Amino acid sequence: MALKERINLPGEARTWYGELPVQSLYTAGDAGDRFLKTLKEKDQFMGSPCTACGEVYVPPKLYCEKCMAELKDWIKVGPDGALESWTEVHVGLDGKRLAQAQLVGLIRLDGATTSMVHLLAGAEPNDLCIGMRMTPVMKPAAKREGAITDILHFRPK
Amino acid sequence: MSERIAVVGIGATQFRTITPDVSYKELMFDAAVRAYDNAGIDPRRDVDTFVTCAEDYIEGTSIFDEYVPDQLGAALKQVHTITGDGLHGVAAAVMQLRTGRFSLAVVEAHSKASNILTPDGVAACAQDPVYVRPLCLNSHFIAGLEMNRFCAESGVTPGQCAQVAVKNRGNALSNPIAGQAAKLTLEDFRHARPVALPLTELDVAQSVDGAVVVVLATESRARELRTKPVWLTGAGWCNGSPNLETRDWASPKYVTTAAAMAYKQAGITDPRHYFDFAEVDDTYTYKELQHLVALGLANACDVGRDVELGKTATKGKRPVNVSGGALGMGHMYECIGLARLYCAVQQLRGEAGMQQLDKARTAVVQAWRGVPTASAAVLTLAT
Repeated sequence: MALKERINLPGEARTWYGELPVQSLYTAGDAGDRFLKTLKEKDQFMGSPCTACGEVYVPPKLYCEKCMAELKDWIKVGPDGALESWTEVHVGLDGKRLAQAQLVGLIRLDGATTSMVHLLAGAEPNDLCIGMRMTPVMKPAAKREGAITDILHFRPK
Repeated sequence: MSERIAVVGIGATQFRTITPDVSYKELMFDAAVRAYDNAGIDPRRDVDTFVTCAEDYIEGTSIFDEYVPDQLGAALKQVHTITGDGLHGVAAAVMQLRTGRFSLAVVEAHSKASNILTPDGVAACAQDPVYVRPLCLNSHFIAGLEMNRFCAESGVTPGQCAQVAVKNRGNALSNPIAGQAAKLTLEDFRHARPVALPLTELDVAQSVDGAVVVVLATESRARELRTKPVWLTGAGWCNGSPNLETRDWASPKYVTTAAAMAYKQAGITDPRHYFDFAEVDDTYTYKELQHLVALGLANACDVGRDVELGKTATKGKRPVNVSGGALGMGHMYECIGLARLYCAVQQLRGEAGMQQLDKARTAVVQAWRGVPTASAAVLTLAT
C-alpha cells in the first residue's frame, strides 16, 4: 500500500450509513402512452412500422432508431408471438434468493420485428424452447392501469 | 499525422472483497502513487490532463466528478469524469493527447463495491422505467436471456461456459493482486445455485474493491521518460441500443463495431492471427466467448470447443484472460477495463511475473459496461 499510515485494527475501521432519497416521475411519451392506453382499453397490441427500413417497433416509437425516420403509421400486432429466449430468475431485487423463481421471456409478437420482455407462466422451464408460440394473459379489464403490468404474463399457446 | 500514444505508467491496488480500512479516495491515491512512481513523474508538475471514470449512483454521491481531483494530484488542473468504463476514459485521453495540446494524461477508475449495500437495486434502476422495471426483476435476468439465446445460436453449451470460470479463476491464482482466485472444477458447477438459468452463481463475476491508474504520453514525451513504452495502436468504442426490445440478443454488434474502429487505426486486417493474447470482458462466463467472436478472434461454432481444448488457456494457442479476468480478479464496475489493461501492459513489458507469457508483443483489450448496457470499448496494444 502506498499509504504511509494504515488502520491496523478492524475495530478502528468505521463506516457511516447514508441513503439517496431519490424519487422520479417517468413519462411513457406520446407513442408509449397510446400503446398502453390501447392495450388497456381495447386489448390490442399496436406497433409502429418504419416505411424506410421495415422495422416494426413494439412497443411503438415516434422515430426509428435504425434510420432516424419519423414513424407516423400505427398497425395492429400480436397478440400471439414466438418465444425468442427465456430464463428462470432465482434472485430478487434485493439480491436474496427468491422463494418462488420467476420465469421471464423475450417474445416477438406476430407482425413485429422487435421483442418484448415479460413474465411467463403456465409452463415448466424444461417445457420452454425458442420459437414456441406464446399468448398474453391480461388483467381483468376493471383492474387495468394503463401499465405494462396490465399484461399479467405470457403463456404457451 | 499526430504522434503515437503510449502507456508509460501503471498502478493498481490490491483487489479485495472488502476494504474497510481505506476510503475510495485512499484507494485512488494508492493506485495513483504507484502509477506516478512507475512512470517516474510528478503529477503536480508533469501531468497535463486527467480523466476519471465513475457513475454517481454507484458511488452513492451526486456530481461525483467533483470528488476526484485532490487524491490524484489533479486539483486546479484539467480534469473531467465520464460515466463510462475505464477504457472509454483511455479513448478520451488519447483524443486529448492527439490534439497536440497535451503530452501527458492520466486515466483513473476504481471500485468501492463493498460500500454499496444495494448493488442489485442500483443495477435494476438502470432498467427502462416504463416497460421493464415494473416487472420487478433482478438485472441478471438480462444475462440469462442473452446466454440462452447465445448458446442456442452458437451451439456453445453451459458446460463450455463453466470452463471459462474454471480457467479464469484458476489463472488468477498466480496473479498477486487478484481478489477472486479459486481452484474450481466442473463438479463445483453441478452444485452451484442458479441465478438466472442457465446462469449460475459461479458464472457471475463477484465484486471487489480496488483502483487502477494509467499514465499515457505522446511519443515524444514517452521518449523522455525512463519506462518502456507500450504503444496504444488503436482505440474504439461503440454503444448499441439501450432498449431490450431492439437489441441483437445473440451477437453484441457494438463490440464488433468498437473493435473495427480500433483495428482500422492499428492497421489490423486479420485480428484472428494478429494478437499474441487477449484480455476481454468476462463479467459472465458466456460473455468471454461471445466477446471473442465479436472481436473477430474466434468462430461462434468453435469458440466453446476452443476453451474446452485449452486454446485460450495460458499455454494455449492464444491465451485469453491470463490475468484471471473479472471472474478471477473481481468485478470492478467502471474499473473492469482498466484492470484488463493493467495486466496486458504488464505482459507486454515482460513484467507479469509468474503469469508472464513467452510471446507477448501484441494484445487486444476489451471492456463491456455490464447489464443492461450495450456499451463497449476496445484497445489494441503493441510493444
